[in-house]
Amino acid sequence: MHVLIINGSPRVKQYSNTDKILEKFTMGLCENGTTLEQYEISDKKQWEDIRGAYYKNSNILIALPLYVECIPGLLMEFLETLQPKNDGTRIAFILQSGFAEGVQLRCGEAYLEKLAGYLGCEYAGTLVKGDNFSIRFFEGDMRDRVTGPYLEMGREYAANAGFDTEKCKAFTGAEILPAPVRLLLRVVFRTIGRTMFTRIARGWGCTKPLDYRPYQ
Amino acid sequence: MILIVNTTSDTSVTEEMKRLTAERGLAAEVIEAAGMNISHCIGCNHCWLKTPGECSIKDDYGIILKKIIHTDQLWVISDTALGFLDHKGKNIFDRILPIATMYLKFKGNQMRHVPRYKGKTDIGIIYRGEPDKEFLQRWSERAALNFESRSLGVFGTDKIKEAVSCMC
Repeated sequence: MHVLIINGSPRVKQYSNTDKILEKFTMGLCENGTTLEQYEISDKKQWEDIRGAYYKNSNILIALPLYVECIPGLLMEFLETLQPKNDGTRIAFILQSGFAEGVQLRCGEAYLEKLAGYLGCEYAGTLVKGDNFSIRFFEGDMRDRVTGPYLEMGREYAANAGFDTEKCKAFTGAEILPAPVRLLLRVVFRTIGRTMFTRIARGWGCTKPLDYRPYQ
Repeated sequence: MILIVNTTSDTSVTEEMKRLTAERGLAAEVIEAAGMNISHCIGCNHCWLKTPGECSIKDDYGIILKKIIHTDQLWVISDTALGFLDHKGKNIFDRILPIATMYLKFKGNQMRHVPRYKGKTDIGIIYRGEPDKEFLQRWSERAALNFESRSLGVFGTDKIKEAVSCMC
């Protein structure tokens, strides 16, 4: 099987969490001979090549971050340039987000299923998972802890040409975090979380409080 | 205050809205955004972690963002594509990130970002074309969570009177 992979993140490849997820995912995908070609929506110079690959390939995978409950505007802009295929092409999606709970991604997931139809493709499922915001800030083992599980999902996709398996569905994790976890996180968000974000911001050269109101 | 952002090139819709809101004595401001230079969100996170509250993209969206913060209702008029808002309409929503902070909290049983400002902005959609209306309604209700507000509904351009009746 040969797979066209489109990284639908508007963030440049270097800083793209979706790209780091795909790094692991494609390792699993290619273990048994599946081949791939990958493009980045964030690089408009690639759009003509992506369109060509879209019409040529019969297995397409679009990986994307959730932007305001659905697909990012830039990816929408690209998709608007495509014609429906109606040739049996299978299209699957990896939908990822910063928020951890599965419920946060379900509206976006519902749209992706509809999108497959608008593109004249057969829907091959969506791999849904949150809690990925930190990928950008981690390296090495810390990053692998977040992205590593996607390797197995790459194997799953290769074996099933899609994500319509129980293993892939279970990959999402909790729809809503259990009450004791929420209670603990409420404390973490107000304490360690704020300290951690402030530290990251200082590292980025931020000189203002993170709740600063420039347009008050 | 009511802010109406028209991302389509059809100004007859906004002319009608101006007339209807004036009849009701409502304070509404219309921004014709179709010809404006408005980029997509590039996901840089600078508005959360480098220049809090300020977008790194210096384009015409800055005018809209400053008004959204002080408005009670935001109405976006958008063309549709692939059953949803087209990219120009979606970009108006994607670029709202500076109104939230990096800080997290739980709203009910779901994680949310702590809002940067105290005001709440309800959102409404007026669409041109043929979206999946049921999905668009669902999406607008989810999108309103990002404003800690409520969806005022989604209306076709043939239902402008109904949309204006939701304005206050």
